[in-house]
Amino acid sequence: MAPSARELLTRLAPDFPARHVGELYDDTSEFMRIGYGDVMVLGERHFLVLRDEAERRFGMEDPKYWVKRCRCLETGGRNIVKLVFHENFPMTIGSMVVTCTRSPRKETRILDLVRGDPRFMQGETIYDVAGNPVRILDLVAGKRLDEKIEALEMPHRDYFHDLFPTVLERFIEACQAIKWLHDRNEKHGDVRRDHLYVLHDSGQYCWIDFDYTFDFQESPFGLDLFGLGNIIQFLVGMGQHTTQSVSPAMRAQITSDDCSIMFPNRIVNLQKLFPYIPLELTNVLRRFSLAAEVYYDTAGELIDDLCRARQALGRSGV
Amino acid sequence: MNTDKILIAYDGSDNAQRSVAYVAAMVGHDGTRQVDVAAIERPADRDLFADDAAWKAECQRRNAAMRDALAQARAMLVAAGIPDGKVGTRFVESCRSPLREATECSIGTSIALEVLRLAEEGGYGTVVVGRRGVSKQEEFLFGSVSTKIIHAAKGLAVWVVA
Repeated sequence: MAPSARELLTRLAPDFPARHVGELYDDTSEFMRIGYGDVMVLGERHFLVLRDEAERRFGMEDPKYWVKRCRCLETGGRNIVKLVFHENFPMTIGSMVVTCTRSPRKETRILDLVRGDPRFMQGETIYDVAGNPVRILDLVAGKRLDEKIEALEMPHRDYFHDLFPTVLERFIEACQAIKWLHDRNEKHGDVRRDHLYVLHDSGQYCWIDFDYTFDFQESPFGLDLFGLGNIIQFLVGMGQHTTQSVSPAMRAQITSDDCSIMFPNRIVNLQKLFPYIPLELTNVLRRFSLAAEVYYDTAGELIDDLCRARQALGRSGV
Repeated sequence: MNTDKILIAYDGSDNAQRSVAYVAAMVGHDGTRQVDVAAIERPADRDLFADDAAWKAECQRRNAAMRDALAQARAMLVAAGIPDGKVGTRFVESCRSPLREATECSIGTSIALEVLRLAEEGGYGTVVVGRRGVSKQEEFLFGSVSTKIIHAAKGLAVWVVA
């Protein structure tokens, strides 16, 4: 007879408060029922649930009941355990709505593909007794890139001259990681600035969360490329700049052609705000503007242009 | 440039049907030209389905619908006066299809490039494609078969039926 959660925790986690001991689950299908103090049995290991993960965006906290922060009772290590949650949902991008699908097996496949590659979060998939592919993820030892950038307290000029060349170098590597996926006919699926971490030890950038997918036939990697465009705009601008956030005098100089093709209030021609941004970099940003006539078709094209921009930064002595 | 062979890129949509109707009207009573209608399989993304059985069923449904649409396109061209022996259809299966039996297959990264490959290999002088008239935003995000064909075509005429 399998031990109860109480027996397991008494033996393997004696510090855990007895009054919070919950149930033992080897079938994780009903993930809403699994919460603090419960123990999930996955293969030979046991995971004590500490809390549900939550996504923090735009000042709001959105609980993700299918993602549990856990302690592995055998190793003592902390893991994020993603349970199976199938959903289709509309993602609004500007005036358009794109259908996204959450796919546990896509993330399983990519985790296998990127094993040992520090450019991507690491983890493995264990199937519970009901056959659900449960992803056991290592915590990324780093901090969100966008939070690091937003925390900077310095004028943009100093940031651009002193820090941005290294940021760009790292971002090119991150784009190469996405290209590496595309070359293997895989999409990241959710390229966003809060899905890119800076590793504490190496400073390398690391992508997380690959469980979204979408079905764009003629431009299979279009959404990934759009995401990379959003991130480079953010990195160049040291934050996001909208027509509402600039002075009236500056706003008068901004036309619709200087703004994002998808978000009419988002300024992408940042040279208008920061004239020292070199033309090569401006050309990249303008590929995502309403004025663009030609769009990036592959990550390789974007990388080539970013490398030209990197050389231009070198020439200007920054 | 071979003006006697016309390839219609077909996906069964209203726009594609208009392009068939246009070709029928243009060359229907000229019995010398070869007109082929080609469809590239677009299998559903496997990751969109919870299991392989559901994925395979959807791929089968799409395949059957596309073969029916090709047959209808062919019938339309013959009805317009093109000799039966001068109208052909081609269905190029995807390399990723769970149903695949053919030796030739599409790698599935670009319908437009697959169409141009067929045109080049088959010695067609004209490619006909329907255009949906998508917005700039849609083209940016989703891509456009007709735009890509226009940009990438070399050594042939492209008829765009909007």
